[in-house]
Amino acid sequence: MKILGVSAHYHDSAAALLVDGEPVGAVQEERLSRRKNDAAFPLSAIEWCLDEAGIEPAELDAVVFYERPMLKFDRILTSALRAFPWSWRSFPKAIKNTLGEKAWVRGLISSQLGVPGKKVLFTEHHQSHAAAAFLTAPTREAAILTADGVGEWATMTAGVGRRGPEGTSIAIDREIRFPHSLGLFYSTFTAFLGFQVNEGEYKVMGLASYGRPRFADQVRRVLWRTPDGGFALNLSYFEFQTTAERSYSSRFVDLFGPPRSPYEPIDLQTEDGRRFADIAASVQLVLEDVLVDIATDLHRRTGLSDLCLGGGVALNGVANARILRESGFSNLYVPPAPGDAGCALGAALYADRIFFGQPDRPFPDHPFWGPKIEEDALAGWGAEDGLPTERLSERELIEQVADELVDGRIVGWMDGRSEFGPRSLGARSILAAPHAAEMRDRLNRDIKYREEFRPFAPVVTAEAADRYFDLSEGGARLGRFMSGVFPVRPQWRERLGAITHVDGTARVQVLAADMAPRLHALLKAYGRRSGMPVLLNTSFNLAGEPIVNTAAEGYSTFRRCGMDLLVAGRTVMRRRHLAPAARSEATA
Amino acid sequence: MSSFILRPLQFLVWNNLALKARNLLRFAETEADGGRDIARAAELTSDPVLRRLFLRHAKDEQRHAELFRRRGAEIMLALPPDARRATNTDWLTPGERGLDDVKVRRGGDAPLLAFLHLSEKSAAGDFAVYRQLLTQDPDTRAVFDEILRDETYHMNYTLAQLKRIEPVKSRRRLWWARLKRLWNGYLRLAGALAGLISGVVLTLFYFVILPLFAWTAKRAEQKEPPGWRAVEIRDPAAMKGQY
Repeated sequence: MKILGVSAHYHDSAAALLVDGEPVGAVQEERLSRRKNDAAFPLSAIEWCLDEAGIEPAELDAVVFYERPMLKFDRILTSALRAFPWSWRSFPKAIKNTLGEKAWVRGLISSQLGVPGKKVLFTEHHQSHAAAAFLTAPTREAAILTADGVGEWATMTAGVGRRGPEGTSIAIDREIRFPHSLGLFYSTFTAFLGFQVNEGEYKVMGLASYGRPRFADQVRRVLWRTPDGGFALNLSYFEFQTTAERSYSSRFVDLFGPPRSPYEPIDLQTEDGRRFADIAASVQLVLEDVLVDIATDLHRRTGLSDLCLGGGVALNGVANARILRESGFSNLYVPPAPGDAGCALGAALYADRIFFGQPDRPFPDHPFWGPKIEEDALAGWGAEDGLPTERLSERELIEQVADELVDGRIVGWMDGRSEFGPRSLGARSILAAPHAAEMRDRLNRDIKYREEFRPFAPVVTAEAADRYFDLSEGGARLGRFMSGVFPVRPQWRERLGAITHVDGTARVQVLAADMAPRLHALLKAYGRRSGMPVLLNTSFNLAGEPIVNTAAEGYSTFRRCGMDLLVAGRTVMRRRHLAPAARSEATA
Repeated sequence: MSSFILRPLQFLVWNNLALKARNLLRFAETEADGGRDIARAAELTSDPVLRRLFLRHAKDEQRHAELFRRRGAEIMLALPPDARRATNTDWLTPGERGLDDVKVRRGGDAPLLAFLHLSEKSAAGDFAVYRQLLTQDPDTRAVFDEILRDETYHMNYTLAQLKRIEPVKSRRRLWWARLKRLWNGYLRLAGALAGLISGVVLTLFYFVILPLFAWTAKRAEQKEPPGWRAVEIRDPAAMKGQY
């Protein structure tokens, strides 16, 4: 049975293909179109998935869209009516936007792929999130919690998933509906703090560590708890339901002061800079409190030990770590693509296991579902452009790159198939030594061109993770896809200065050898030289660009920034006039 | 050309700090976008000379973006907070508009070079006008000076390379690119006009047809308590419908 999952039209569109219940490929459109957060119908991603499987669209048994467009239109129209007459400016835009293409998905898929309309199926948005979280996790029975901005009507859902020889079920039994939304709540503060919505939420989380939550009470006036353990937004502080121009109201500005201009640098020495950091800390605290509370209640209600968390809110690693620590669940599973892109995979899995009733099967526990790197071209470009390039044996590669990293070089690392999801987990990464804070500054200045307050993440071997990081029970699992933020043990903070955030934490990736063997071997080789099998790992892209996909994109990025070395598979390219690092003696 | 015609208006714009800051910041975004498109062209071309030139060009655009952004931010941050939200003047800044959403494709080097040549030429002309108007602002003028030097180089190399890869058809390519720019301009205008008309129609519809439905929707909303709602387990067969 061949099932294609598609997510599109809002942000982060993607396609994923299952053949006989096994994933063949999954990729975000942005990786192929090279337009960050590309929301267009993912034709390139679909074509790539079909090519990867060697099938034609006519051979598909079903194409599953990740939400119900008409139910979404119902919400948009009803919201406009409820906000009458204040929605008069947003109404024409919303209607034009929806009726232009977004409402006619069956026809769109049918015409673009040439499949009959009856083969096009629809899941609900949060069903797709739930399936992406539960059906990809190594668990048979788990509580499920999903939270994001908004799908059709739901913004948060809770339920239970069960799978096994007797069949698969995902029973969502309660939901919180638009306009009450944790995702929109956090995004509103993201916009207020001068960051781009759907992109800058990481920055709010990073900035929060610099502040004190002195605005927490004010934030709780904006988002209050309902007696049944849910939450609600005080809509007088928001405008997202009435206008597309601004998500917060004048009352919100009265409460928190003037918003930050996106062009204004955050200077923590100034009163305004501290205010912004304190607001970030406050909103982060309130978000965590609500999530922990809801997860604790879910644990009490279900009595299960595993929780699968999906939706864009699950990208908040600080909140995830607190849920794991405080809610009572022993294991917390967050998929590598918990946001809307992951819904393409979730929708396909939901159709396969539940609509078609196909037998359950374990999902391969890794995120590498994208295109494979083709390293051969790199040598040709090296020769044409006069850059020293060589193809090494596996052993030489690991030893030489480890030497370069010890020498303080910055390495662009491309290996195997690319990751599905927003994080570089070892297939398309920029790697560097994690020790000196100067390395962080150099990366920010010469390569990533980003704000100083944003931390870099480490990757560590699973065997050594607990030595350097204070992982709570289940933390190693959460760290598998870099989904949790944990304290760096105090004795190592100084030696891990480039990846230790101001509050002593790090968003650590705990790498098992079976997931990315080559990177794992590199970490061990680096550990033999430096005494610590830990590297700084950041996404292989420049500001405003999607993560690289092909060797050509890696090469272009390498040429446009201050990287020292480019590795594609076993091919290594050096910057001109850069001598190879001297061979280090292993120390351990 | 349009900047020349609009010169008196441009004089007012470039002598207003808030509008000047806004224009510079907008140029920064456009240059950054254009840089990404040109980097994409470098990734797709099979011609090593073009690859090197495109990569250099992309880096230049990245640098221009930073120059514009830094200067725009300096000016904006020196303004009182209330003045920072200036009027939208996008229609007054024909300077560069990225690559007009050009689709960079494999094997499309010649059309892209023709298009780049015309874009750079147009931008250089506009920037030269802005530079002349900035007599009282040597810092911003210095930014335009630096960028104009690069624009001249970009203009020249794109034409030289177009002649190299298509010595016979290069003039025809340029005319075709000019027509395409005109067509894109028409599409933008037509799109804006269509958007305006549909906006007016929908706004009328909103005020004439919707009030009764709005009243019903508001009443229904009052009956919905916030917090958790129970969800009925849906039959998987519901996946066949969009509703």
